[in-house]
Amino acid sequence: MVRPKALSKKQQKKGIDFKKIKRKVGRKLPPPKNATNTEIKSKAIVLPEQSVASDRVGLAVNKKGLTLKELLQQTSHHNPKVRRDALMGIKDLFLKHPDELRLHMYAVVEKLRERIGDDDKLVREALYQLFKSVIFPSCKEGNQGPFVSLMMAYIFNAMTHLAVDVRLMAFRFLGLVVLHYPPTFLLYAEKILQNYEEILCKHQLFAQDRSKLKTALAGLMCCLSLLPCNDQEDNASEKKTTGKRLLHGFEQDVYASSSGWNTLGLEKLKGLVPVLINCLREILSVVNSLPSLEFQSFDCMLTILQSIDLAVKFFIATIDKSESDLQTTLGGATLATLDQGVASVILKRLCVLFPLNPAHHASQKDSDRYFALNVMIADIFLSCSEWISPPDDMSERFLEFVEVMLLGKISDSAKTEATVSNKHLLLPFIPKLLAQVPNNWKSRLLQAFTRAFRECNHQSSLKLAFLSIIEEIVIPGQNRIHLDVSDPELLDHQIAWVRELPALLIMLGEKHQSVTQVVLRLILRLGQSASSRPTLQGEYDNIQYPLQDFFCKCQDESSVSYGPFIRLSQDCQELAVSCLYYFSHLDSALLKAIATCYLCNDLEPSVLFRTIEVLDSAYAAGHIWISDIISFFITLLSRFKVSPDNALPVKEVEPKISNCGTLRLLTSVVCSCLLHIGDESMVLQMIEKVIIDQMFVSLQKLKPSRDNACALLRLLVTLDSKPTRLSEQTIDGLASFLALYLIDICSVVIPHISEEDDEAAVAFLDRMTHYYVLPCLFLFDRSQRLLKLVLNEMESLISGRTSLSCLKNGSHGTDHSTSVIAIVYVLQLMHKDFKIRQIQSSFKAEIECILRSLQALVESSTTLEERHKLQCAYHRVHRMLGNLQERTPCLL
Amino acid sequence: MEVVIASSSVADAGIGCWDLHTGAEQLRLKSCASTARGLTSVGHRFVASSQLRDPSATSGSVFYWSWDRPQVEVKSFPAEPILPLAANSEGTYIAGGSVSGEIYLWEVPTGKLLRKWHAHYRAITCLVFSDDDSLVISGSEDGSVRVWSLFMIFDDMRRQEATHLYEHSFTGHALRITDVVIGYGGSNAIIVSASEDRTCKVWSLSKGILLRNIVFPSMIYAIALDPGEHVFYAGSRDGKIYVAALNAESSSNDAYGMYIIGSLADHSKAVTCLTYSNSLNLLVSGSDDGMVRVLDPKSGNVMRMFRHSKGPINNVQIVRKQLGFNPRMVVNPQGSSRRHGSLLPPPLEKYTNSSDDDSDFRTVVSLHGTSYEPLESPHISSNAMNQQIEELQRQSSSYATEMELERLKVDSKRSMQMVEKWKQMYENLHQFCVDELLDIDQVQPTKAGFT
Repeated sequence: MVRPKALSKKQQKKGIDFKKIKRKVGRKLPPPKNATNTEIKSKAIVLPEQSVASDRVGLAVNKKGLTLKELLQQTSHHNPKVRRDALMGIKDLFLKHPDELRLHMYAVVEKLRERIGDDDKLVREALYQLFKSVIFPSCKEGNQGPFVSLMMAYIFNAMTHLAVDVRLMAFRFLGLVVLHYPPTFLLYAEKILQNYEEILCKHQLFAQDRSKLKTALAGLMCCLSLLPCNDQEDNASEKKTTGKRLLHGFEQDVYASSSGWNTLGLEKLKGLVPVLINCLREILSVVNSLPSLEFQSFDCMLTILQSIDLAVKFFIATIDKSESDLQTTLGGATLATLDQGVASVILKRLCVLFPLNPAHHASQKDSDRYFALNVMIADIFLSCSEWISPPDDMSERFLEFVEVMLLGKISDSAKTEATVSNKHLLLPFIPKLLAQVPNNWKSRLLQAFTRAFRECNHQSSLKLAFLSIIEEIVIPGQNRIHLDVSDPELLDHQIAWVRELPALLIMLGEKHQSVTQVVLRLILRLGQSASSRPTLQGEYDNIQYPLQDFFCKCQDESSVSYGPFIRLSQDCQELAVSCLYYFSHLDSALLKAIATCYLCNDLEPSVLFRTIEVLDSAYAAGHIWISDIISFFITLLSRFKVSPDNALPVKEVEPKISNCGTLRLLTSVVCSCLLHIGDESMVLQMIEKVIIDQMFVSLQKLKPSRDNACALLRLLVTLDSKPTRLSEQTIDGLASFLALYLIDICSVVIPHISEEDDEAAVAFLDRMTHYYVLPCLFLFDRSQRLLKLVLNEMESLISGRTSLSCLKNGSHGTDHSTSVIAIVYVLQLMHKDFKIRQIQSSFKAEIECILRSLQALVESSTTLEERHKLQCAYHRVHRMLGNLQERTPCLL
Repeated sequence: MEVVIASSSVADAGIGCWDLHTGAEQLRLKSCASTARGLTSVGHRFVASSQLRDPSATSGSVFYWSWDRPQVEVKSFPAEPILPLAANSEGTYIAGGSVSGEIYLWEVPTGKLLRKWHAHYRAITCLVFSDDDSLVISGSEDGSVRVWSLFMIFDDMRRQEATHLYEHSFTGHALRITDVVIGYGGSNAIIVSASEDRTCKVWSLSKGILLRNIVFPSMIYAIALDPGEHVFYAGSRDGKIYVAALNAESSSNDAYGMYIIGSLADHSKAVTCLTYSNSLNLLVSGSDDGMVRVLDPKSGNVMRMFRHSKGPINNVQIVRKQLGFNPRMVVNPQGSSRRHGSLLPPPLEKYTNSSDDDSDFRTVVSLHGTSYEPLESPHISSNAMNQQIEELQRQSSSYATEMELERLKVDSKRSMQMVEKWKQMYENLHQFCVDELLDIDQVQPTKAGFT
């Protein structure tokens, strides 16, 4: 360890003698001075051929630097590995340069299609992936027709290939094409079905490997599901597009719905069904020998059954269509051949298998699987039961199965997803069965159905299915199924269902609004259609009693618990409100619940106005008594809570905080309703007592709300005419109330008026005061006696004969002097109005009386400040009186 | 002469008629308390209206007025209270919708009840004939709109086979239908329906689907279609007439909502009925305050205002009244000799007469050809024709004598012509003879000269 140290020291010393030239690594030596310059300079270089490397610039290449052309050439290379690599390369290229695909689509497909029938498995797989992940997704828009037709020829070719693997792959390709371009199937239906039939006949192919069979069947399912058989789906898709389309626009025809479908295709489909059934029986015979049902076999069987089901539904649709179209030439033939051929095969070969039972003791999972298969068979049987005319014992077996299914398989407790979805499948047949089966079965089915409906979880989608079936049965004339509506047992069950509905609504609460909406719609449809059947109409009318809880639970003054109604979405609320129209008599208790509901400020005002509209037209149709609707309106006006509580909206505050505007709108809406509800004077007679009572109730509650009082006064004014039709008694009652009402308004306004300098604010205050005072002015104009009484009342207030206690408890505690000033302000307000001034002039005596008591008050006042204020007020009244006296002669 | 006719639910106001060009009020027809949509002109020849009845009344009533007499001329009492009433454009059929949801179809010239069928669960609120009179569209209190083909209604075989009578049943509305209109374009037309649920819906007649749903700020009581189908007008409960787009994809206006372009004149009270005059491009509205307003739909200005009554108007119609007043009157001056002096057809029958041979319901061009306007070719059933033939054969009716007279006139005219001809011939002959004689006279002297 020591030696190197010493050595390095030596070296350092040595370094002084020999100069070391430091060279950095990688630097080139400078050229020697005697080097010859070999550079050639020229203006242009002409080469006979471009180099291989340089021509790639600007061209689309993949990772390996190959162009599309080269790759396409390599796809037909004799080495399968090269072919596969080329396909991978193409995929890579297209992912990088999507434009390339768009440009050369046709050429690419033309070349690639040759590989559909490739001998190598890996190559085919790579090609499949290429089409699936790149080519089809990128050409969704645009015309797919031509290049699909390019491919189809090679696919059909591959389908008849000797190697089974190639054939199966061809079916996979077909499935892919059909998935992306559905019209393909209808164009080539005959050929496609022919090929399926051939491959399915070769049972030995599938004996070992079920997955191969599954591959073929998946494509078949995909194809058959394209058959135009289900009208309901068409309707659903149409509903979605509603509102988007132009009214008179050109619309492209829906692709070959059945026009491209010819009789030959139909024949082929008929040929396919027995083959499928054979296939099923083959599998079944194998399965029965095994201890348990493995998934692969189960899956295959299910797919086969589903395919048969689709085919059968298509047959039925064609028959229905030909019947309705009156095309006897085609329709007669299909009906006859279906009867002879397919129907007997289905009956003799498939339905006899029912029910499928595990050969050995089965586990839970296995029995679920068998159940699913049984449901499918039942589905097929029920769809075509009219055509195959089954023997009685067989239909018994199926009916028994349906009943057991409805009752939820009491034997096994576990309700899996599968059983629920299976119920969906068979439920739609219930109305048809009810119309067809003999009476004893009808009652059994009805009982099972009702029980299942009750027990079904209200949150599940199954409940929705039940509801739609109920709608179909209860509301007649919607479809081609004609139930005997007069049947007492059916009626009993219908009543039972209807009675469930309100309870269901309340149970659903606000959390499951989609279901709530369906229930409400059902109730509405029921109301619309029930009138021709008295029992149901009575039942519908009875819904309103349990429905009270839906709006509002207990209507105690102290504790109110609102029902789910106020928390629902607006759509649901509108539906619920629409239901009210169809009760032949709307009960006052329900109206009360609704009113209570609307007094809660959480509701949107638009819903409130909508309700008033509907109730008004319900009244016009004679569904509500006049006294009920009047009390409903008056309750709304007098109890509507204006927030912020009783404070004056000084500025034009945000409408969200104050709902003062809502009340004003409500007032005008109610006024217009009451105006055409009947003869005005009659209505006035009915409501005047109620209104006066309401006013005094509000006075006694020590918190008179001036907004509500104003609303009621406006109502009176609207219905009244000039000269007044109000009774003496009412006027007496009104006088004392009006005096307090006016003083209350002015005592709130005065402090603001003195504070505000802003002109806009003052103008707003004026406008607002005017709004409150205007109904009083109208009343004074119509009844002079009322004015006189009010003046008297004011005088007695000033002189202290009547206490102002009720006002003092208001939100703004007022002492005597402020209220006196308010009275003076009221007088001035009245004086400003031309008409009232004229009337005032005939009540000079009363005003003088007020002046005198004011004088007395000035003299008795204690503090200087108060004395000054009162003095000012005195002068103002004095001036006003002088004004009146001056003008009187000229007016007279 | 285009005439606006309006009626209200108040009986003493009658039916007001105003000339749309001049604004002059015509003869007011008395004592009509019409139901909503219950006023119709039958082939422009006379007015028919169904009357409001007591709710307790078991039978309805339909009255006829002719243009020149204010009194009710014909009263008929159908089996049920009839709400809406509609006549086809030629005035050969009248359809009425009843309280219980039945539709009645009568033949006007005979008053025969041709068909009656159960159409809706609840009372029918509006009835409209299509352009070519082959379809009837009905709206009901139960919120459904149904399209009926008259071919189907009269085809007994298909009726028995079919599961339902209607062509389409549109059940989108939640509440009572207030008005229905059908556009132009035959089988490819659109149907617009208005309801108390604040929506108007546009349906396609050919496809039977909902094309558009328009939500309004208030209930819509009446609709009228623009002749170009660019827009439709919707009279609402809040007194506005909204203009809603039909062709634009979505020209929404924030003030009112999707598809609503704007609104026309503000009436003080609800607009209850609307109609559009195609020849003058004017919109006529009737309102709850008893006024009929004539509006220019482009500018929204009120052109004319007619005061009808204090009560709410519930029907407004535009009728093309013939200038010749009553053509039958001119042709047939001794009309008073006919039944009760009335020129109107007999009242509508209460029940279908099942004993009649139903197979005879073929419509044919009527024999009345001479007495109606040449352009019209009214259809009546062969029953009516048989009746006429019988009358002619018996030679008893006034019509027969009229025909006889016509024939005699033609005969006498022909004889007169004949006489003229003979006269002419005689004169010619006479002239010839005279000339001949003179010639002989002239010739003979020369002959004599020669000789």
